[in-house]
Amino acid sequence: MITTSNLSKKYNDITVLNIENLDIPKGQSFGLVGNNGAGKTTYFSLLLDLIQPSSGYIKNNNILVHESEDWKPFTSSFIDESFLIGYLTAEEYFYFIGELRGQNKADVDALVAQFSDFFHGEILNQKKYLRDLSKGNQKKAGIVAALIGNPEVIILDEPFANLDPTTQIRLKAIIKNLAKKQGVTVLISSHDLLHVTDVCERIVVLEKGEIVKDLATSAETLRELEAHFAGSEVV
Amino acid sequence: MKLKHFINLEWKQFLRASYFQKGVAIKILLILAALYFTAFAVFAGAFLFSIAKEFLPKVDPIVTINNFIIYWFLFEMVFRFFMQQLPVMNVKPLMTIPIKRSTIIHYLLGKTSLSFFNFLGVFLFLPFCIVLLVKGYAVINVLCWFVSIVCIILSINYLNFLINKNNAVFYIIALALLSLIGLEYYGVFAISKPIGIGFNALYNQPYLMIIPILLMVLLYYANFKYIKKGFYLDDAVSKKIKEVNATDLSWMDRFGSVAPFLKNDIKLIWRNARPKQVMMMSFLFLFYGLIFYTQEAYRDMPAFLAFASMFVTGGFLMSFGQLVPSWDSEYYKLLMSQNIPYRQYLESKWYLMVVAVSISFVLSVPYIYFGWEIFGMIAAGALFNIGLNSFITLFGGALNRVPIELNVKAKAFSNTNGFNPTQMLIAMPKILLPMLLFYIPYKLINFEAGLIAIALSGVLGIIFKNYIFSKIEDIYQKGKYKTIAAFAEKN
Repeated sequence: MITTSNLSKKYNDITVLNIENLDIPKGQSFGLVGNNGAGKTTYFSLLLDLIQPSSGYIKNNNILVHESEDWKPFTSSFIDESFLIGYLTAEEYFYFIGELRGQNKADVDALVAQFSDFFHGEILNQKKYLRDLSKGNQKKAGIVAALIGNPEVIILDEPFANLDPTTQIRLKAIIKNLAKKQGVTVLISSHDLLHVTDVCERIVVLEKGEIVKDLATSAETLRELEAHFAGSEVV
Repeated sequence: MKLKHFINLEWKQFLRASYFQKGVAIKILLILAALYFTAFAVFAGAFLFSIAKEFLPKVDPIVTINNFIIYWFLFEMVFRFFMQQLPVMNVKPLMTIPIKRSTIIHYLLGKTSLSFFNFLGVFLFLPFCIVLLVKGYAVINVLCWFVSIVCIILSINYLNFLINKNNAVFYIIALALLSLIGLEYYGVFAISKPIGIGFNALYNQPYLMIIPILLMVLLYYANFKYIKKGFYLDDAVSKKIKEVNATDLSWMDRFGSVAPFLKNDIKLIWRNARPKQVMMMSFLFLFYGLIFYTQEAYRDMPAFLAFASMFVTGGFLMSFGQLVPSWDSEYYKLLMSQNIPYRQYLESKWYLMVVAVSISFVLSVPYIYFGWEIFGMIAAGALFNIGLNSFITLFGGALNRVPIELNVKAKAFSNTNGFNPTQMLIAMPKILLPMLLFYIPYKLINFEAGLIAIALSGVLGIIFKNYIFSKIEDIYQKGKYKTIAAFAEKN
C-alpha cells in the first residue's frame, strides 16, 4: 500500500530522515517508535505532503504523494491540534469532514454513534467549540474525525498521548478492529512501547532518521524494545 | 536590566520569524514610505508659518494654526486607527517568572511611545516651532505649546491603543466624532471654534499645558489598568466559554461542491472576533461613494469616481480577500491533507467574494440618487470586482504568509488590527487598475467607453475564469510548503 524509496529530508544539510526502503502492505497495523527527534512526525508529514522530500519519494497506493493529490480521497490523518477547526463544534466538524469525504449527515451520525463510549459523554451535544475543549477531548474528536469516510489509510501521530487510561484502552480496541476486520492500513507513532506492541503487527524503530529495527510483533517484542531503548541489547 | 531582556527577546523574535527574509523587500518599501512621510512632514512644518501667512495675512499664523490644528489630530487618529500596528508580546512564558506585571506593561506602553506615528507629528511641529522662535515669538509660550502638542500626540497614541482593544471605547469615540463632524458640516454647531480657542489659550497661557499633560497621564493610566485587568491567560485562568448558537445552513448545499467551505466561512466570520471586525469595516466601504459623489470637484474627475465606485462594492472583497489563505492558517495542515483539491478551496473563496460583491451591489442601489452615470460606474465596478479584482486579490493572498489568530479580541496583547501597511502595498495595483482602465478610453473616446472598458475587463475575467484559476492554483501549489511552515509558527 505504501512504498517509501530513498526518501530523505534535510534541513540546512542536516539529515533528519533517511529511509532507503520501507514497504507497508495493505491492512497492516504499523507502529513507528523512536525518541524525540527520531523523525516520526517528519515521516508522517512527508506522507501527507506537508513538507517536501529532499530526495526520493513515497507512493501511497501507487500514487506519488508529492506530485499528485489523488491519494487524498482514501487517506486520512490526525497529527496534532492544527487538524481541528477551533470555531466549530465537534458535530459540525464531523459533518464538515464527512462532506469532504462524500458522506451525508446520516452516515456520519451512524459512524460517530459507534464511538459514544470512546467519547465518554464529553464530546457530543456539548454546545462547546472545539477550541474550548480540553487537550484530551480535542484529541478524541480529531481521531474519530480521521475515521470518517471509510479511509484505506489512517495516520495517527501519538494517538495515546494526553488520553486518559480508559480511553487509551478503548482506542487500542478501535485500532485493532480497523486493521484486522476492515483491512485498513493504520500507521501510528508512539512513545509508549506497551501500547504500540499491543496494537501493531509490525514495529519499526527510528533513530536519528534511520530505521534501526523492523520487527514483526511477537511476545518477545516488548522486551526487545525496552532493552533497545534502555541502551542494552538482548542476547 | 529587565528592559534589556525584553528588548533582546523582541529583537530575536523579529530576526527569527520565518517570514522575515521574504518580507525584506516590503520592509524596505515601508522604510522608504516612512522616510517620504518624514521628509514631507519636516518640509511642511518648515513652511507652515508662511503658508498660514499667505492664506490669512491679517491673522497671526499661530492663531490660524491653532484654529485648524484639530483637523491634523483628526487625520492622525484615523490614520493611526488603520495603519498603526500595536505592539505584540508573547506574555505566556513571562507570567511564571519573577518579573512584575507592571514592569511588563510599562515596557509595552513605553514601546508604543516610540512608534513612527508619534514622530510624524513631532516632525511637523518641531520645524514650525523653530520658525516661530526665529521670528521672535516668546520662547516660553512656544516651548510650552510644543510640549502640549507632543502630549496630545501621545494621548492620541494611547487612545488608539484603547480604541483598538476595547470595542466600547471604539464605538463611543467613533460616534462622538461622527456626530461632531456632522454637526459642523451641516452648520448646526461648529465645534472647531471652541477647540480653536482652546488651542490658542494653550499658547497664550503657558501654564495651561498642565491640561494636555494630565490628559496624557490619564490615558496612560487607563491603558495600564485595562491591560493589567487582561493580564491573565484566557485559557488558563479566567476562561469564559461561549455557548454555541448553531444555525442551520443546509440551505447553502445548493452551491454544490463548494457548499461545505461556504458554510464554514460563514461560521468563520460569525464566530471569530477578527473576521467579524473585518466584515464590519467592509460594510463601511459601502458609504465610500458618499465622500466622492457629493463633491462637485470630483464631477470633473471621473477617474477618481471610477476608483470610488470600485470601492463601494469591493469592501469585503478587498479586506477579507487579501487575507486568504491566512484565515485558515490555524488549521491549514488539515485542509492540505484532507480530501480537498486546492482548486476547490480557492474557488469557494472566490464564490464568497462574488456573493459579497453582489450583496454590496444590491445595497448600493440608493446611489441611483446621484444619477445613472454614477450608478453605471458602480455596476461596472462590481463587474470589475467579480471578474478581475477577485483574482488579483487571491493572487495577492498567495504572497501573504502571516498567520492569523482568529479569536483574539479578548487578549490585550495581540494585534487585532484589521489592516496593515504590507497589505496596503499589495493592494496598490487593485486601486490603480480601474482608474487606468477607465481613464484611457475616456480620454480617447468618451465616458461610456470608459465604463464599458471597466465592465469588459470583469466579463473577460469571468470568461477566462478556469484558465486564471489554474494559474493561481499553480502559484499556491508552489508556495504550499512555505505557507504550511509559516502558518505553523504561532505569532
